Amino acid sequence: MRQMITGNGAAAWGARLSRAEIIPNFPITPQTAIIEEIASWIAEGEMNADFLPMESEHSVMSALAAASSAGTRVFSATSSQGLMLMTEMMFITSGLRLPVMLVNVSRGLSAPITLWSDHNDALVQRDSGWLQIFCSNNQEALDSVVMGYRIAEDNDVLLPMMINLDGFTLSTTREPVEIPDQSEIDDFLPAYDPEHTILDPKEPMSVGCVVFDEYMYFRSQQRMAMQNSKGLIKDVCSEWEKMTGRGYGLVEPYFTEDAERVLVICGSESAILKYTIDKLRKDGERVGMLRLRAIRPFPCEEIIDALSDVEEIGVIDQDVSPGSGGIIATEVKACLGGRNVTSFIAGLGGRRIGVEKYEKIFRRLGRDVEEWIF
Amino acid sequence: MDILKKLTDIPMEDYLVGGHVACQGCSASLGLRLALKVLGKDTIVINGSGCMTLLPVYPNTPLKVPWIHLAIENTGAAGTALYYALRRKNIKANILGYAGDGATYDIGIQSLSGAAEKNIDMIYICYNNQSFGNTGHQRASSTPRASYTTTTPFGKVETAKDMPSIMAAHRIPYIATACPSFPIDFLNKVEKAAEVAGMAFIDLLVPCPVGWGFDPADGIDIGRLAVRTGMWKLYEIVDGRLNLTYIPEKRRKVSEYLRAQARFSHLSDEDIEKIQAEVDCEWEELEERGYGYELGIFVNKRHPNM
Repeated sequence: MRQMITGNGAAAWGARLSRAEIIPNFPITPQTAIIEEIASWIAEGEMNADFLPMESEHSVMSALAAASSAGTRVFSATSSQGLMLMTEMMFITSGLRLPVMLVNVSRGLSAPITLWSDHNDALVQRDSGWLQIFCSNNQEALDSVVMGYRIAEDNDVLLPMMINLDGFTLSTTREPVEIPDQSEIDDFLPAYDPEHTILDPKEPMSVGCVVFDEYMYFRSQQRMAMQNSKGLIKDVCSEWEKMTGRGYGLVEPYFTEDAERVLVICGSESAILKYTIDKLRKDGERVGMLRLRAIRPFPCEEIIDALSDVEEIGVIDQDVSPGSGGIIATEVKACLGGRNVTSFIAGLGGRRIGVEKYEKIFRRLGRDVEEWIF
Repeated sequence: MDILKKLTDIPMEDYLVGGHVACQGCSASLGLRLALKVLGKDTIVINGSGCMTLLPVYPNTPLKVPWIHLAIENTGAAGTALYYALRRKNIKANILGYAGDGATYDIGIQSLSGAAEKNIDMIYICYNNQSFGNTGHQRASSTPRASYTTTTPFGKVETAKDMPSIMAAHRIPYIATACPSFPIDFLNKVEKAAEVAGMAFIDLLVPCPVGWGFDPADGIDIGRLAVRTGMWKLYEIVDGRLNLTYIPEKRRKVSEYLRAQARFSHLSDEDIEKIQAEVDCEWEELEERGYGYELGIFVNKRHPNM
């Protein structure tokens, strides 16, 4: 079924098709339409789930963790300040190895207040032990939620999953989205049947205990789970491609094979960058793009593979760590060890980038500096 | 419901067993042990960070029932979610929230309020040692006026919150205060809490030898004195009516209770007389009202299963 729906609508469809059972929620712009859509589906009997309006995002993440511990499939969505309030519980959820699903409709952080898209909210959580996928369009949002459960719930992974979609550019923009049949998804994604953690008097266990020296051992298990997720993401994506014809991976290369200059980017701004690349290629310029779809696990090998023959590399960050620089640029540089990488800070708080600025950015590669593109 | 009348009526079975690391003379672990005897094996405990969080220490646990600890401020939120998750999984179990006073009166009041508004079918016991005990006895909004804590070195200036009244304003069907020094009174309240449809809240005074400063052997006596001096009232609030469940025949002097604890050792005889006068004044008023009175609250008769 093909429909014109928003990114928020697509994410909600992802939860519905995945048969999420418990939906704790708290409204925040620009995410709210996701939970509103789910509320109306539940009210109309189109979705079999419990809708729990909570008193804060902290309570939302607490409820997700508790309901997941009892073996139910859970879903919620948030943005920006809401994600910040969840921070404490983000680490606890991943530490307890609960396959919680959260859609983050990314929005810049206060102060000053902005409602528009920006990746700093998601990247604050990059050390929280969550898998993180960045979407470039509405179809990918739906697909990533469904695939996300398969990855998160796998016994070799068991980590929570955050799907990021850009506020407004995706969340409120309608695009044609193919909505898979429920029966197809039911075959792809069986019901959640946890083997590790379950709160049931028949099988008493203590969850969330104090540890002493073993702490480091548990952290290393999270690292192993992240490593395991790399192969699994690829496998699940290729299975999805066989089923739907839509392929994804850890990264999306665009004309990187013969490119002399490549920009690394993540999120929906990649669409206009692709358009710019098409335009420049018509003029004979050998330019390309590498979109990072997974930020956790960070696709280091894929970046090295894609960029080994590229002369000039730039990274566009819609985020900044003041005092250090672009967060993605820092990580890309760490992968490419010593290569010349120019870091561009652009599009903060939804500030328009657009074709002209991308053309300018391509002209300013090769300088190994940080530049702010206003 | 089996009404307990004497100590030998208390079930022998234990679901919190020995060998854990709670302090000598800890009344909070005693309170949990007693409550679980009545609630039985089909109980899931949600703990808010505090002293009791140290009961299970990997790879050991003294708990024979499921236990989950997430963080300090979310016992109510976890209870809400667990209620719905268990209903979906068709698991019949008591949900017992067991969190300290700091986790209840202060940092956790938001999520507790959310669960109470939804009238979630859970039993929430606040084990109240009148301070942030696990971090070493810091001031909380439950700390009584004049008490020394490490963050009120000259005694607390403010009066403690009236948490049971705050819970009553949420219109939940059952609220009580209790103390493990009066186990029959406490456990009959736990039974009622388990039986009621909707949320039940019990504020359980747990004398803390370390924070309050008394010999670990005296914990039960200190709790008895708290009640017998009239400084901790035992009551329940059912259908909008508050009823005292224990009326001291002859109230002991508050000095007996206060002088037995290091946290009040800075008080002069005059200070103690003032406290005695306040307690007397409250009890005279109670006597006039007849140890039971209407709060003028309409109780919420609906809960999620209705």
